Amino acid sequence: MFPTPTITHWLTLSALLFSIGLYGIFTRRNAVGVLLSIEMTLNSAILNILIFNRFVASDEVDGQVLVLFIIAAAAAEAVVALAIFVSFYRHRHTLDVTQANHICDQGNSTS
Amino acid sequence: MTGFLFENAWMIPALPLISILLIGLFATGSNARVAGIIGSVAIGTAFLLTCGLGLSYLSSAEAGASAVTWSIEWLRYQDHLVVSLGTLIDPISLLLLFVVTSVSLLVHVYSIGYMAGDEGYSRYFVFLSLFTFSMLGLVLAPNLLQMYVFWELVGVSSFLLIGFYYTLPEAIAASKKAFIVTRFADLFFLAGILVLGFFVHQWIVDSEWGGVTATALQSATATQALDFATINSEPVLANLKAQPGVFGLDLLTVAMLLVFIGAAGKSAMFPLHVWLPDAMAGPTPVSALIHAATMVVAGVYLVARLFPGFAASGDALHVVAAVGCFTCLFAALIACTQRDIKRVLAFSTLSQIGYMMLALGVASAEHPAGLGAAMFHLFTHAFFKALLFLGAGSVIHAVHSNDVADMGGLRKKMPLTHATFLIATIAIAGVPPLAGFFSKDEILGAALDGEHHLIFGVGLFVAALTAFYMFRVYILTFLGAHKSDGAAKAHESPPIMTIPLVVLGVMSVCGGWIAVSQFVLPGVELHAHLLVMGLSVAAAVVGIGAAFWLYGGQTNRAQSMADSMGGIYRLVQNKFYIDEVYLLVTKMIFRFIAAPAAWFDRHVVDAAMNLSAAVVRWFGARLNVLQTGQVQTYGIWMINGTIVILLFLWLVQR
Amino acid sequence: MHDGTVATLFFYLFAVASIALALGVVLGRRLLRSAVCLIGVLGSSAGLILVLGFEFIAGIQVLVFIGGIVVLLLFAIMMTSEGHTFEQRPSAARRVMGGIVATAFFVVTLSVYVHTDFPPATAEGLAVSHEDVHAIGRKLLSNERDGYIVPFEVISLLLLAALIGGIVIARKHDPEDT
Repeated sequence: MFPTPTITHWLTLSALLFSIGLYGIFTRRNAVGVLLSIEMTLNSAILNILIFNRFVASDEVDGQVLVLFIIAAAAAEAVVALAIFVSFYRHRHTLDVTQANHICDQGNSTS
Repeated sequence: MTGFLFENAWMIPALPLISILLIGLFATGSNARVAGIIGSVAIGTAFLLTCGLGLSYLSSAEAGASAVTWSIEWLRYQDHLVVSLGTLIDPISLLLLFVVTSVSLLVHVYSIGYMAGDEGYSRYFVFLSLFTFSMLGLVLAPNLLQMYVFWELVGVSSFLLIGFYYTLPEAIAASKKAFIVTRFADLFFLAGILVLGFFVHQWIVDSEWGGVTATALQSATATQALDFATINSEPVLANLKAQPGVFGLDLLTVAMLLVFIGAAGKSAMFPLHVWLPDAMAGPTPVSALIHAATMVVAGVYLVARLFPGFAASGDALHVVAAVGCFTCLFAALIACTQRDIKRVLAFSTLSQIGYMMLALGVASAEHPAGLGAAMFHLFTHAFFKALLFLGAGSVIHAVHSNDVADMGGLRKKMPLTHATFLIATIAIAGVPPLAGFFSKDEILGAALDGEHHLIFGVGLFVAALTAFYMFRVYILTFLGAHKSDGAAKAHESPPIMTIPLVVLGVMSVCGGWIAVSQFVLPGVELHAHLLVMGLSVAAAVVGIGAAFWLYGGQTNRAQSMADSMGGIYRLVQNKFYIDEVYLLVTKMIFRFIAAPAAWFDRHVVDAAMNLSAAVVRWFGARLNVLQTGQVQTYGIWMINGTIVILLFLWLVQR
Repeated sequence: MHDGTVATLFFYLFAVASIALALGVVLGRRLLRSAVCLIGVLGSSAGLILVLGFEFIAGIQVLVFIGGIVVLLLFAIMMTSEGHTFEQRPSAARRVMGGIVATAFFVVTLSVYVHTDFPPATAEGLAVSHEDVHAIGRKLLSNERDGYIVPFEVISLLLLAALIGGIVIARKHDPEDT
């Protein structure tokens, strides 16, 4: 009933996931929500790379190595983002990114 | 000419440079006292090195030898157009080295006392060392460009020192005036350097193609277009002489006249003399060092350096003679009427430098005696004029006034200053056997030998005038009764100030016994003119007698004589209104060129700038609303842009 | 690809699951629920990766991405005490713009994919090699021309820096503690 998935099917799936992630990045009001969406786009990028690794250059393992790096970078990003959020929340008692456009004039009220 | 001292002659200017750094780094705040000591020690070492250099030159080199003993390449433009830094050792550079280091040393020592307690004490010594460094670099320069660089450095340090009391408006005005006037003259000097550099280089390249370089120019060092050795070599001069210049003059004359304008600016020759009297606004030891003994003779030195060029041109030398002759008469006349002791000395300096120029002007390739005489006078003048200035400084220090009308009767109060000032006065008046007599006598003799009878006459008259105005100052300052409270309360200066006076006094007495002319021009025969000697002594005696007759007694002879001369006296006292003429000219320039230019700048150029700024601001205000600070909005626009680029690339690719 | 039919089946299964869960992540109004959905998306992706034949990467995906990163995000949610609150709806303009941009991106990417001639997949090309892990390990630590030793070291430094930076930024700043 369904056609056997070709590379185009796979890539379409990955692009769809990426676009959904993009929508999340642009519309979530909570910073952690934005971060969740970012992780999702990263995930779709991983998928994309692996698809190409499988369908275009299946002799090589470079795609998999690259994915390992992406996961490590994602971990680093998550750590720093978490720290920033905690610090930000402590000062502003909110994580709403639409209200994060006045960081400078809050400087004197923070410790 | 080899030996440690010759190859390390660069140390002489390097020592004051090091002293600048040391003073600037360490002599700050409460340590300011050491500035004078550092400066004096550095100059003292340079002086000892100079003496050593001179002695080994006398003992090892043949008379009149000239060599570049040390040199580094700085900029290489073309094979024969290389700018290098080096040290040129020959009799006149050694002579100037000796004068500069010795006077500078004495002025440094004197300044320790004179400037004590001044706010800018260490700044003063930095400037003084900077000046000494530049002057030594200028003296040792083996090529025109190095000379020009140090020439400008000398101008800058002179500017800094004239404006040393920068809270006084007249000091600032004087420093600006000195800088602008000399700078204006330096422009012509630069033009002269460019003309010489271009045509000499062209000649070298041309003759190299013809294969004559090796024979025409003997040593390999003389193939650089800007080196004095090249410019002064005969084939180069002959070639320049043969080329047409402008205004019907040949190229050599044009170049030499341009260079001479630069020299005249630095040496304050008429009509570029206006800055020197005003430059007396600086501290008095500075006047002694820069505006009497060293910097102002740089012009004389430059003409002497390029003397073969001037001699080959002929016309240029006549201009030198005429300008020198006129300036020495003109300045001597003004000096007779001035009341400010430093201004009298300034005009006396002008007059004496005019004398040196005159001596250079009457010399020629066949009769170079004038060159030696000019150098001799430069040598002796440096000492007695520095002494006069330092003595005047000592007096001003004690009386707190520059006006001779406030002085009088200081003979008893300041015995050492009085004695040394008197020696210098007699020396400059030309009474044997003091220094001034010999050098002045040689100049007059050279003028007579060259059959320049008019110049000889003027020189003789100026000699009498010199004796007159110097004794006028001497009488008004030291003899008679106290004319003010300051004079009554005056006392002798501390030993640190009087010791340099005594040393200079000794030099003023003995300086004339040194055969400087023989040193500069070995082998040139000097005839002793009994006639000239007699005439010059007579002129000095007449001048001194006139001074005593007019000012010595208690009568009002001087005043009545001034009154009887009326308009002429006022004309002279106001320095022939030259300053006013300059003021008029600059006002005209201001009204008809500068003011319209300023209007154009303000209303057209600035308006265009303002318009463009307004346009940018308008667009900025429109675009401002896009800067929401919303990260997500930025993100949306970023992806929008990415998509557009992606589409574009994709469509292009297909 | 293991077995063709099974693989096809799993592909569509995981694809539908991941898309649905992804929509849950971006549209949900509760953060905690979104985070749980993200775990589902990442899990489905791990399944898809398995279908592609990368067992090792699938394992890493589960262990590090889900077990490490998402748990970290859950911590973030808990620490900022936003887990139980409803998130405000984004403004309509933002939603419309975001939707347009996301759709446009998808359409453009898709049309590029459709218009690109990929090399046809060959049977042996798609064959799954089980020596992958050794090859990855060698490649990662090789200092040959195509080795990844330098990026490997750089990423380890990055992780260390992120660790320290995270502590420094999140530390409570005591005004008296200078």
